[in-house]
Amino acid sequence: MAKRITVDPITRIEGHLGVTVEVENGKVKDAWSSGTMARGFEALLQGRDPRDAPYVTSRFCGVCYSVHQMASVRALDDAFGAKVPWGGTLLRNLAMGAEFIYDHILHFYHLTALDYLDIMAVAAYNGKDKGLNAVKEKVVGLVKSKDTFPLTPRYEPDEFSVRDPDMVITAVKHYIDALAMQAKARNMGAIFGGRQPHYQSLVVGGCTQYPDVNMVAKFRTMLDEQAKFVNEIYIPDVLAFGTGPLFPLAKMGLGGGHYNYLSYGAFELDKNGKQWVFPAGVITGLNPGKIKVKSFDPDKITESVKYGWYKDDKPRHPYEGEQVFDLDKKDAYSFVKAPRYKGRPMEVGPLARMLVAKNPDVLGLIKKGAKPGVVARHAARAIETKLLVDACYRWCDELLTEMTKPGFKIHDTAHYEPPEKGEGAGFYEAPRGALGHWIKIKDKKIANYQAVVPSTWNASPRCEKKYRGQYEESLIGAPVPDVDNPINVVRIIRSFDPCLACAVHLIDPQSNEIKRFAVE
Amino acid sequence: MNELLGDISRRDFMKYCAGAAAVLGLSELELFEKVSEALASSSTKPPVVWLEGQDCAGCTVSLAGALNPPASALILDKLSIRYHETIMAASGYVAEAAYEETVRAGGYVLCVEGSIPIADDRFCMIAGRPFRRTVEEAAKNAAAIIAVGACAAYGGIPAAGPTGAVGVGKVVKNKPIIHLPTCPVHCDHLVGSILYFLATGTAPPLDKVGRPKMYFGETIHDNCRRRSYFDNEMFLTDWNDPEQKNWCLYEKGCKGPDTYADCAVRRWNDGQNYCVDCGAGCMGCAEPEFYSGMSPLYTADSKRSRDIMARKKAGLIPPLKEEA
Ligand code: SF4
Ligand code: SF4
Repeated sequence: MAKRITVDPITRIEGHLGVTVEVENGKVKDAWSSGTMARGFEALLQGRDPRDAPYVTSRFCGVCYSVHQMASVRALDDAFGAKVPWGGTLLRNLAMGAEFIYDHILHFYHLTALDYLDIMAVAAYNGKDKGLNAVKEKVVGLVKSKDTFPLTPRYEPDEFSVRDPDMVITAVKHYIDALAMQAKARNMGAIFGGRQPHYQSLVVGGCTQYPDVNMVAKFRTMLDEQAKFVNEIYIPDVLAFGTGPLFPLAKMGLGGGHYNYLSYGAFELDKNGKQWVFPAGVITGLNPGKIKVKSFDPDKITESVKYGWYKDDKPRHPYEGEQVFDLDKKDAYSFVKAPRYKGRPMEVGPLARMLVAKNPDVLGLIKKGAKPGVVARHAARAIETKLLVDACYRWCDELLTEMTKPGFKIHDTAHYEPPEKGEGAGFYEAPRGALGHWIKIKDKKIANYQAVVPSTWNASPRCEKKYRGQYEESLIGAPVPDVDNPINVVRIIRSFDPCLACAVHLIDPQSNEIKRFAVE
Repeated sequence: MNELLGDISRRDFMKYCAGAAAVLGLSELELFEKVSEALASSSTKPPVVWLEGQDCAGCTVSLAGALNPPASALILDKLSIRYHETIMAASGYVAEAAYEETVRAGGYVLCVEGSIPIADDRFCMIAGRPFRRTVEEAAKNAAAIIAVGACAAYGGIPAAGPTGAVGVGKVVKNKPIIHLPTCPVHCDHLVGSILYFLATGTAPPLDKVGRPKMYFGETIHDNCRRRSYFDNEMFLTDWNDPEQKNWCLYEKGCKGPDTYADCAVRRWNDGQNYCVDCGAGCMGCAEPEFYSGMSPLYTADSKRSRDIMARKKAGLIPPLKEEA
């Protein structure tokens, strides 16, 4: 008989998420993903000075703060008619590059690695390495004092868990090293972002941090350390796991989902926006042997509220987005709305980006037999971290050249005042995937603000056509031999790097209703 | 001495607790010894329960940015983190069981991150329970309560929204709460407050709105390196102009004169930079009136900014005296 289990809270993610799965014969038969917290951010922006939006929307998420600022300033750039000088773009790119590097390292080592390791295997390590023995001592000490929080309690390791003492202890050591690396990557970002979490320097028209040679030099030195870690530790670790003990999971394609992928694109490499580190594009029904990427059309995005705790409505484009909470709605099970592209659910994130880019390393893994899913997601994340490290070097060099030019600019000062009216869209890629912000301005104030964030795409509930969201679909067929130990469920969910705080929308404070306005 | 505090050197410790020794009438060395003793005498690590409500996890990420002592030492060596949604290994009922056991036993440091919606409990439900009730319950047996970040302290940005978001003090009455605003929390403030509590068994001396005086005793403006430009009314208007790059950010919305916090001295991210130095200005995130009372942020077109200027003109914000 089918048995329903609910995992709530899903921990080691940003935000609050619960997942319910129906298990039959040791496999997931159906799944529901549910966002369980709402703050009403878009509502509180209404009537505000539009230049508050990047600051406020940064607080959508304290993990990937800057990408919201970035999508928001791009929406403002669009609405204000601001032309960001190349110097401003370079500063923004460097701040953002640092964020991706930190975020991906943090996700792999601190938010997800524990799902694949039998931590207690370190006790069996009997090598000579001093550093590793210190790690062993530490963990064994914790066990002896009967205080292994927060490494335990946990779901019990299963047949896919890595138990080789050498491999596990190395991973645990890297977990500890990576704590410092992610902190340092963020300090690097603060050089141009002001401080973090939550950069302060990204504004409409550019950036507020006037750079000097020392800052660039400092950034580069810190980047060297990151590059070494990414190239010598992070990527080798992911590949060792993915092609080694976790290869069965890769071959099985655990957590595959719909095989639809979407990237909005991010990180321009030239002034004309021709070349991007992450190109934009759409793949529907992936055929790994013959990848067909179609161009991305923003008008094809709609959001459904059919199964959300919102008043019933037809699917709408974000510009027309309106949300009125209905906490008593029958059949609703999430605060997350259900975005669709041409009516279809999409996966967004590193795997989507690398497939759209036809990245040779990721395609190589697939050729070797790894199906798109959990393991491919971790690999794509590591591979694109390297792409960004390389791009940061390039931007440092360009910034140094740019700075010496007469009339060097970091900001479009002529377009800092809000227009009487206007609208704008800002597209970007967050570490977790495609991110869009939409703004409407009236009487120089925010008339409507909408964000469709990566976790909304991935964590969405069902829509009118009953298509499951990407998390839900990815869970189908996942082995859960022991319903008290649904470790594969959390593996799948965490492989997407969920961040739920940002996925959850609003209501209007006064009227409990939001004015609707047509797109002109 | 260093051994007793493990990875925390005396210098690091003083960085966290600067000012605290004086408040207690101790010399710095005496305070340091007191902390060392307290940490050495307890055979178990102090348990911590960390709850996240209407949060963005930014404060957790900020804490994870601590390099001296490293976050790894805090998480594994110094504290026993029993419940923390963002870092713990367990999920679902395994996580909930760890929580219940710790709360039953009592005597933990309770950290709350994020605001609490009181308009309708359903705006924040975790493990099927209203977050408000979880906070009330966890507060009962806590040895110390820390409101981590602007949202937990005073409602922060969510307070401007429709969910009736408030800080911990509006839900937990009759217990002292250490308020650590700024959005997000500064990791030094958090680490220092915990160390202080471990050393003395009490909260550090707090100001009128519950913030440790050792961190929130002076304004950003009083320590700002752009201050002489404010006094001389030289305000930055163009971020492109290298000549203006160190000028006062009043015109760009800086609320430093009304904001009590030590960012200008302590700076952020291991001293790398901070809001005013990067050319953006202080948004007042350490104040109970943040965010609504500081908005609009990036322009002087707010009641508060006009008020600051009026006070300046009236001589109420006198120029800093040149130091002899
Ligand atoms: S107003 Fe702001 S930038 Fe100007 S002196 Fe005061 S704190 Fe510094
Ligand atoms: S300088 Fe002002 S805005 Fe920045 S963290 Fe400190 S109090 Fe908050």
